Amino acid sequence: MDDEIKAPQIMVVDDDQDTVAILAHHLEREGFVPIVATSGAQCLKLVLENEVDVILLDLMMPDMDGFQVVKALRDNPETAEIPIIMITARDDLDARAEGMRLGVSDFLAKPVFRRQLASRVRAQLEVVETARDASAAMDRLEAVKTRP
Amino acid sequence: MALQPTFAETRTSSGIERALIGEHPAIVKLRALIERVAPTEVTVLITGESGTGKEVVAQAIHTLSPRRLQQFVPVNCAAIPHDLLESEMFGHERGAFTGAAGSRHGLLTTADRGTIFLDEIGEMPIALQAKLLRVLEDGVVRPVGADKGSKVNVRVIAASNVDLAAAVRKGTFREDLFYRLQVVPIRIPPLRERRSDIPLLTEHFLQRVRERTPGREIEVSREAMVALWSYDWPGNVRELENMMERLAILCEGSIIDTTILPENLVASAHPASAAANVSLSGHGVNLNDLVRELEGRLINDALKQSGGNKQAAARLLGLKRTTFSAKLRRCGVIAPSSLDQLEED
Repeated sequence: MDDEIKAPQIMVVDDDQDTVAILAHHLEREGFVPIVATSGAQCLKLVLENEVDVILLDLMMPDMDGFQVVKALRDNPETAEIPIIMITARDDLDARAEGMRLGVSDFLAKPVFRRQLASRVRAQLEVVETARDASAAMDRLEAVKTRP
Repeated sequence: MALQPTFAETRTSSGIERALIGEHPAIVKLRALIERVAPTEVTVLITGESGTGKEVVAQAIHTLSPRRLQQFVPVNCAAIPHDLLESEMFGHERGAFTGAAGSRHGLLTTADRGTIFLDEIGEMPIALQAKLLRVLEDGVVRPVGADKGSKVNVRVIAASNVDLAAAVRKGTFREDLFYRLQVVPIRIPPLRERRSDIPLLTEHFLQRVRERTPGREIEVSREAMVALWSYDWPGNVRELENMMERLAILCEGSIIDTTILPENLVASAHPASAAANVSLSGHGVNLNDLVRELEGRLINDALKQSGGNKQAAARLLGLKRTTFSAKLRRCGVIAPSSLDQLEED
């Protein structure tokens, strides 16, 4: 690849400032660039202004709950394919079932451990890369075909 | 979505929908790429963990190519002893080595005008890699003990579940062969990277059960589906397939519920219970992980109860504040209101 290697940008969405700060801190220590949003609305705004690779989304937020944010992200073609890792309470079966239905990519249970956080984020980055590589290979094949 | 294809669809469908089932964006792109690369003569390198379906994809590429009426010859490079692999692939002349009573065609010749699928190519001895490179470059196959080779027209699809780039760095895989093979790399993601496809795959495997035993009704309960979704599936799609076959046998009614799921699978959906009701099973346990898990949960609960006050939380756990802070940092626990004065520690 000829584009320079950039640290992945991970968006953290949670209305609790402290949680956001700690998540961002852990992400930074793992070599990621955190982008912080403290409301669903702010998430939907920032995601269009930044190149976001993965979104970490808290379920419980006052203005717009996590499900509404997932739905809005999935309904917009520009953001439909960004992996979303939803942070829920442990044993919250209903939340997981609903998240699955709406197109969440993975879940993390509270309390979130740094190692688990990193490995879940990396798994999503891998699959995004796989999709990108497939598209790039497709472009190369088109170029081969159209060569005079 | 080709879950229940009609007869006409089955006959006309390219087979790739069945080889790589899923609606995850990466899978959709891979299917498009496979359909695009199949009719060409380009060499393809398929990578993916075991159980992701590399051979099925290779077969689909062959079926979608103009070579479909010729042979598809699969060779598992890891299953054939190293000293036999060369004569298996390239054939041998009479008397080429002890025991070579007659001359014999190799698999590359068998695959002439068709496709050879070299699975686990990372296991191929480095001397043989040089010989394969020559086949890729000029299509000449020289049997063991022969003075000269003959031309074959064979398409090569290779697969590996090890990182070949790393093998190149280690010197166990030839760099020139690596680049020659990976003209079009196809990485099949493990299931844990595309969990959203688990319900679709589960339904596909259950549909097979229903077709095999007409009149059989079988479904997965919501709880069980959450557990299937949350499990990491180290054996990937093949493991899910085997699991569904097993559950269909174990299931006495029409609903697959968590009661018949293996313990480790249910635990993945309820990680808290893993630490709470742990017992030493035949597989053993990871004590460090479980202890950390339990510590983290109790620290989190204590912080919640104390409204984020660390002094009070430490008291609830019978710890000194300094010990508590150290544990908090080590666990990397993140939960609402757990950051109270963290910066000053």
